[in-house]
Amino acid sequence: MRLSDLLRLSIRQLLRHRRRYWGVMLAIALGTAGFITIITMGRDLKENFNRDLELLGRATLIKIYFEKLPPYQHQHFQQSTLEALRRLPGVKDASLAVSTFSAQTSLQGQQYGFSLFGADRAFFEVCGLSAQKGKLFGQEENNHHRRAVVLGPELARTLFGAIDVAGAELEIQQDIYTVTGVLKDVGLGDLRQFAFLPFTTAQDRIPNISNPNRIYLRCSTWDDVEKVVPLISQAIQSQQYVQGLKVDVAWDQVKRVQAIAFWVELFIFSSIVATLILGGVGIWTVMMAAVRSRTREIGLKKAMGAEDQAIMAQFLAEAVCLSFTASLAGSLMGLVVVEITSIMINSHPAQGLFLFCVMIGLLVAVGLGVAAGLYPSIRASRMEPVSAIRYE
Amino acid sequence: MNKPATPSLVNGPLIQVIRLSKHYSNGHGVIPVLRGVNLEVHPGEMIAVTGPSGSGKSSLLFILGLLQPASSGNYQFLGQDVLHLSRADQAEFRRRRVGFVFQNCDLFENSTVYENLEFPLVYAMVERQERPARIAAALEMVGLAHRMSHPANRLSGGERQRVAVARALVNQPRVILADEPTGQLDRQNGHKIMDHFEKIVALGETALIVVTHDSQVAERCHRVFSLEDGILYEK
Repeated sequence: MRLSDLLRLSIRQLLRHRRRYWGVMLAIALGTAGFITIITMGRDLKENFNRDLELLGRATLIKIYFEKLPPYQHQHFQQSTLEALRRLPGVKDASLAVSTFSAQTSLQGQQYGFSLFGADRAFFEVCGLSAQKGKLFGQEENNHHRRAVVLGPELARTLFGAIDVAGAELEIQQDIYTVTGVLKDVGLGDLRQFAFLPFTTAQDRIPNISNPNRIYLRCSTWDDVEKVVPLISQAIQSQQYVQGLKVDVAWDQVKRVQAIAFWVELFIFSSIVATLILGGVGIWTVMMAAVRSRTREIGLKKAMGAEDQAIMAQFLAEAVCLSFTASLAGSLMGLVVVEITSIMINSHPAQGLFLFCVMIGLLVAVGLGVAAGLYPSIRASRMEPVSAIRYE
Repeated sequence: MNKPATPSLVNGPLIQVIRLSKHYSNGHGVIPVLRGVNLEVHPGEMIAVTGPSGSGKSSLLFILGLLQPASSGNYQFLGQDVLHLSRADQAEFRRRRVGFVFQNCDLFENSTVYENLEFPLVYAMVERQERPARIAAALEMVGLAHRMSHPANRLSGGERQRVAVARALVNQPRVILADEPTGQLDRQNGHKIMDHFEKIVALGETALIVVTHDSQVAERCHRVFSLEDGILYEK
């Protein structure tokens, strides 16, 4: 039997009896769509989840600084070191900061002391901070050395008695700054009482500001933390000689998040596998029923000269066409879900990864069709022609 | 009705069966179905096999078509022993040498007439371009060329049996084995089927062995055999 005839007859058979195959096709299509969506969007979803999770705990934030050394051993990080860290695989972004604990302001005749951070364009995003009033500064303010300041909510209340103070003016070390925004209260810790200036402005105008002695580094996902940490020291040493380097990681949070994610992933994959197995069992059942209901047809075909292999190939091809078509439909469903999810979380999953998943999905479907259709096909092929023809 | 003249037997026999036996075993013993059957069929011959129900007529037909194994004996087709062929060779034999017509007009219900006739050609690996002409020729023989794209389940009983005959013919077999081909048809349609068989056999290449209860069908054959208690007698 020619392959073209085999495929043509199998597809024709499926189309003409499509009603009996709907349920099975739906199960396989859903399984394939789920598989494609999870694999294609998995990393983007983790990153998105990670960003939101930062409000509750800083599982993927790594803080790099120097241990307290004798005063004559001043050390600081260079810009090239920051760039080297940004290039590490699994690092989403990194930020360099300067600080002082003795900034002062004079407001309505009263003196207030507070701590101050000089933050580069990436600082707020890396630390997962957002504004509850006004806006945060970034690249532009840093480039133009603007006199802008973002306040921690507690400091805003102390100075102004309110948090809705965007646009207000504040004197710091005898310079006037414009308050651009106030940070949200969630996950800030002691940063509630800090003021934040653009990195460049702080270096220009704050006389007792430190050298850039802290780097905040954000990993793309919690799975990346374990891979990134061992590379940090080597990346820094490749750019500059440093002593007493300290790397702070919230290992407890990382482990807890990983454990939760593991169980969630296990649940999702188990559901997908269960759906596909159900699809396979469905194919098996449908094909067994088809063999039974088409027994006379099998006998007739054998009387026409069909060999055992031709009968087996036909039923097997029908099973494979069934699962392949269902998987193809599932791939289309997956494409739609991936597109919608991408828009919702504003991500751009790799096209190659999607195509790879489609290929895997189709291959799994073919394997499922062969595995589930093999026994019914063998049974059909081994029927004795006379018993089949006389079957009532 | 006068018996038709037996065709000349200048060429060797198409089918030669010698002392063919078939028995079934069950828990209580052996049930003989065919006992020492001898039969010789030549190209262009029409043979009728009659006998009471359960006498083994269909079993003989199935053994001749290699759908069922014999228990013992000798069966030669064009001088070749065919009883001991492998399963694949048996399928090849059915594909190339035999055309079956069954009582129930067994057509593939969800297929068209064309598709029904295409199946034997598919199994015989006939080129796709060649198929329409062969199918048209077979349908022409039974006067149904105009029904080529008609769904099989919308044909009348007589038409269905004629399509079954055309399907048996499409691979140009050397022998047509028909099991009660007119059993479910009215007299007029039964005659039509026999007319078609006569036309086909008259070409001289093909023989017909028909199992029937109908004496009028038997009378139109060159020779009539009766199968009783597993023994074949020529009437």
